[in-house]
Amino acid sequence: MDRELINDCVHCGFCLPACPTYSLWGEEMDSPRGRIHLMKTALDGDTAIDATWVGHLDACLGCMACVSACPSGVHYDELIESARATIEDEYRRPWRDRAFRRVLFTVFPGRRRLRVAAVFAWIHRRLGPAALLRRTGVRDRLPPRLKALESVAPAVRLRDVVRRTPALVPAVGARRRRIGFVSGCVQEVFFGDVNAATVRVLAAEGCEVVTPPAQGCCGALELHGGRESAAMARARKIVDVFAPLGLDAVVVNAAGCGSALKDYGRLLADDPRYAERARDLAAKVRDVTEVLAELEPRAAYGRLELDVAYHDACHLAHAQGVTGAPRTVLRRIPGVTLRPVLDDGLCCGSAGIYNLVQPEAAAELGQRKAATLAETEADVVVTTNPGCALQIARWLDRPIRHPVQLLDAAARSPSRPRPGH
Amino acid sequence: MTAETEAMIDVAATHRPRDLTGARAAVLAARDDDANILVRGAGTKLSWAGRPTTGRAWHVIDTRELNLLVSHDAGDMTATVQAGIALHDLQAELGRAGQEFGCDPPGTAGRSTVGGVFVANDGGPRRLRYGGVRDHVIGTTVVLADGTVARSGGDVIKNVAGYDLGKLWCGSLGTLGLVVELTLRLHPVPEATRAVRVPASAPVAAAVVRDLLASPVECSAMEWASVGRGALLLVLEGPARGLDTQVDAMIAIVRRHGAEAEPVDGASDQLDTWRQAHSAEAPATRARATSLPTDLATIAEALTAAVEGTPVEASLYSHAGLGLHDAVLTGGDTRDHAVVVNRWRDAVTRTGGHVVLRERPAELDDHVDPWGDPPPARYLDLMRSVKTALDPHGRFSPGRFVGGI
Amino acid sequence: MEKLAIVSEALRLELHDVLGPAGLLTEWAQRRTYESDGLTGYRAVPAFVALPENRDQVVGVVRACARHGVPLVPRGSGTGLSGGALPHPDGVLIALSRMRRVLDIDAANQRITVEPGVTNAQVSKAVAGYDLYYAPDPSSQVVCSIGGNVAENSGGAHCLKYGFTTHHVLGCEVVLPDGEVVELGGPTLDPLGYDLRGLFVGSEGTLGIVTKVTLRLLRRPEAVRTMVADFATPAAAGDAVGAIIAAGIVPAAVEMMDNLAIQAAEDDAHAGFDRDSGAALIVELDGPAAECEASFADVVGLCTDNGATAIRIADDPAERARVWKGRKAAFAAMGRLAPDYFVQDGVIPRTRLGECLDQISQMAAAAGLRVANVFHAGDGNLHPLVLYDGADAEVTERAETLSKQIAELCVAFGGSLSGEHGIGADKACSMPTMFTADDLAVMDRVRAAFDPEGRCNPDKVLPTPRLCGERPGPYKPHPLEAAGIIERM
Repeated sequence: MDRELINDCVHCGFCLPACPTYSLWGEEMDSPRGRIHLMKTALDGDTAIDATWVGHLDACLGCMACVSACPSGVHYDELIESARATIEDEYRRPWRDRAFRRVLFTVFPGRRRLRVAAVFAWIHRRLGPAALLRRTGVRDRLPPRLKALESVAPAVRLRDVVRRTPALVPAVGARRRRIGFVSGCVQEVFFGDVNAATVRVLAAEGCEVVTPPAQGCCGALELHGGRESAAMARARKIVDVFAPLGLDAVVVNAAGCGSALKDYGRLLADDPRYAERARDLAAKVRDVTEVLAELEPRAAYGRLELDVAYHDACHLAHAQGVTGAPRTVLRRIPGVTLRPVLDDGLCCGSAGIYNLVQPEAAAELGQRKAATLAETEADVVVTTNPGCALQIARWLDRPIRHPVQLLDAAARSPSRPRPGH
Repeated sequence: MTAETEAMIDVAATHRPRDLTGARAAVLAARDDDANILVRGAGTKLSWAGRPTTGRAWHVIDTRELNLLVSHDAGDMTATVQAGIALHDLQAELGRAGQEFGCDPPGTAGRSTVGGVFVANDGGPRRLRYGGVRDHVIGTTVVLADGTVARSGGDVIKNVAGYDLGKLWCGSLGTLGLVVELTLRLHPVPEATRAVRVPASAPVAAAVVRDLLASPVECSAMEWASVGRGALLLVLEGPARGLDTQVDAMIAIVRRHGAEAEPVDGASDQLDTWRQAHSAEAPATRARATSLPTDLATIAEALTAAVEGTPVEASLYSHAGLGLHDAVLTGGDTRDHAVVVNRWRDAVTRTGGHVVLRERPAELDDHVDPWGDPPPARYLDLMRSVKTALDPHGRFSPGRFVGGI
Repeated sequence: MEKLAIVSEALRLELHDVLGPAGLLTEWAQRRTYESDGLTGYRAVPAFVALPENRDQVVGVVRACARHGVPLVPRGSGTGLSGGALPHPDGVLIALSRMRRVLDIDAANQRITVEPGVTNAQVSKAVAGYDLYYAPDPSSQVVCSIGGNVAENSGGAHCLKYGFTTHHVLGCEVVLPDGEVVELGGPTLDPLGYDLRGLFVGSEGTLGIVTKVTLRLLRRPEAVRTMVADFATPAAAGDAVGAIIAAGIVPAAVEMMDNLAIQAAEDDAHAGFDRDSGAALIVELDGPAAECEASFADVVGLCTDNGATAIRIADDPAERARVWKGRKAAFAAMGRLAPDYFVQDGVIPRTRLGECLDQISQMAAAAGLRVANVFHAGDGNLHPLVLYDGADAEVTERAETLSKQIAELCVAFGGSLSGEHGIGADKACSMPTMFTADDLAVMDRVRAAFDPEGRCNPDKVLPTPRLCGERPGPYKPHPLEAAGIIERM
């Protein structure tokens, strides 16, 4: 925890209304201003890093809405990550916590294990255990975290478990860009349709898409969870895989991954073997909506009569500062109307593994978000993060899609304008 | 009750101070004499409060020679006056620089002093736009019963240093101390005034007022009078260009309610006539009610109901946009007035407001409390504590205020 | 000391009964996060922090404090700039941040009733659908609470035309220091009796705790026009303001920023201010469209005639919002120019603006410190920001001294120590420069009528030997603590 970064905070409090936990609990310790103060007193040696201290910092979603709100430019994102790293180093969690976190950090980051988990999820849903749990009431009596895990597990089709994005997809027509695609873990296994749509749309817009098969995980969960060395190991692998490929851009369609990738320069700044390459790579990282918004549309998009509510994922809006591009590309589809989402803009509660380790807070935030989205009376909710999609789906009974899925549908629609007409 | 008030008390001495030193000397003289103090300016509001407690002799402090315009800073739009300056004289002086003191109480036969307007919390139709007198006083100098000189506020409009004692003196009717000097914030005199008159019953008037308040039209005054079948006077002030558009917008809103708007010549004079209606003289009784603006019709109906079966005639004059109403009762005797007031008071209280008495025949107080039911116990207690803190021996007009303070 | 410990344990049990475990903070690290409000130079850790959720809990806490004779300090969002919410180390800090419901909206009568923890911006947001808004707009309005606004009689940029909090509070429910509840004022005008409500607004939490407020709302103006004019010096800009006022125009807001303030604001908000400008003047007019347009044209002309080097008119709501974002974030954006700053809040007669600023800049040069200036040029309320680095004790002391001198300079110019931030802990010791001992004694008498035991936010507003004998400054342990006789709970 860097004292200089901490001293940037002038205690003005502008971050409080932006903070989801302050909105829930109304107490200083669970606000960015209060958390920075806790970091300061720990750094001064005035407070022990004990359960209370850790509890307040664990409760932070890492949504970075405070970073957007802060007039003094405090780097709260760096501060909370370093605080989490400090906790990992200096605090021994109760054994249940440790076990649960170990499971999460083993299963999620990595497609192979996720595929195995997906099979179990499929068995659980389709072959009876889920229904049994529900009918016997056992599900409701599960500890909150297990219950959360159970409800977050998405519906899975067996063929999704084995699907993979092809290693090279050529551009349709003249090649405008050579793109490296970070296919993600949860996205690839559970939302393979999104990846397929991503590749198709990019190709249709004249991008050659390279998806190295053994790329590994981008390390976002570990980075945002304070497991620095694990995150750095993953980052190095990604750099090794993508840097030599001569790419114009490295594209990602999951907001959480994108924000981690754009941070690689800072993450590996102290590693002389990787510092420069990591910086260069990070400078090329774009969310798929950013790339598409930059390009003059070439593909023909048919009409989709849809009212769309666009949900800003925190890791795209606050961490990456991208709010215009997704809306721009959605408006390219004739017939699409964007319905404004009228709330405080607070996080949906997904926040990486937050909805699994802080289920009650996440549930409250998720319900609020779902209610606001429902009020828009949109036909479909669109967001750029699989975590948000999973979280919102728990309380909202409406289709949730990624922007590229709409673009893909429009591009393949029979009503799309054809050449010569 | 003007001269009568003075007749009810045993006046041992009268002082006419001309400055702070003289004012202080007067208060100390009363203290040395173990006397009560009645402060008066033009005496136009002496009737407003309750009956003074008798027992001690009284000293009267007449402020009419404390009448200087001490300073006028046109650039900063502030002026400092001694409390006994006549409002009329002040406005004339300020007007020379194109400025005014934004309070317009009814001008009575006497010449009310600015200090009197302040301690009585008096006001007029333009309060709608400019706010009450408490919003115009930014600094005060007061002499307390033990001769202490207490200043609060200052010479600048924006000021939160210390407790806002000015709010305490406003409306205190001379029961907390002798106000000697006031610093006022001023406004530019508007370039032009326009008015329309709308024949309208109370319910229609209330609806028009509600829509006007919800519209961009910025009225300076919205007055309703029950004369005939009822009428509204709507007044606009401001730079001459732009007023026409507002008048048109106002008329459009009026017409939406099926009423007609008659433009009025000599808007300022008309307003003055309507303003004067908010005053009375014994043997008439004036009762002042407060309510939410939307309750205008209820208040009017309640007054009509209250006079039924009595020989009393009642007229209602309302600052319709503010929810402040004056009922003027004529005819009948004191007991009849009492009946009407009590009935009206019951109805008004039920809507959440209250009724206090202004000008009235002295004997009315035998039947009706000028203030109504006392406020909740702890609140009254708090007021008494404040009174005791500032006037421990209860010299300033004892018995005249709410709760017999 | 045993006695303190015993009293504290009994008090803790009572507070726990009233608030429940989630409503009472006892752990050191948690209480410490409440040690200061927006004025970080003043810190003290309270013995307890209470987080009541409703009025009855507030009453319970206040009664417990009364029974045990301990001081209590109310706190809203903790953004105050005069140390008004500085805790008392032996007392209970009562944070109203969990009481944040909107209770009632009466659109037809243009009134709203809210709990004290509702933020200023939330009030306007709640009534936007009715074309209404709440006029007083302190720069911290996204976070500052209505309860805090009532305590400080907060103003904001638009108070030139629309007044401050006291002009918009119709009624408040107050818990007195003895735990009794009173209604001061109400939804109708002219409450019966003394205007205790008017006295309460601006009393800085020393007379009781407000638990419910009824506010007056205004109709959203039909038209708003905003412009930014650049001038070579603040004095030149001040002359333009004088001309506007002399022309009988009452702008909704007139704000000025000097060069240093512009730089900080631009670094943060990128609002399009000219970084080389000597002074930027923001003038906003609002009202009925025709009147607004006409007056606006006049204002542009007057600025040009009075030496404006450039004029930029905000063409749409987005641009207007950017301009205000730049202005309103100016204080907090100071963090980009220096690690720390003291902000003052003095008021001077508007006509003496140029003179006063000259003197401030001379004083700053003499002290070797930078001072950025942001102010409400229409009503003479200055906000000089004394920049310094808190790590250097000597510089800190110089900055504190300069800051105090500036406040007292304003009084010397015939103005006031505070236009909107309040006296709090910060300026209490300067009150004798503005008021005589008699004036202050009378204020104290009135205060005692509400709080005879002197436990409600003591050591604020009025100077006391205890407060002013010591120099105000960064956290100082209680003398007994320093001597090792007592320890932090």
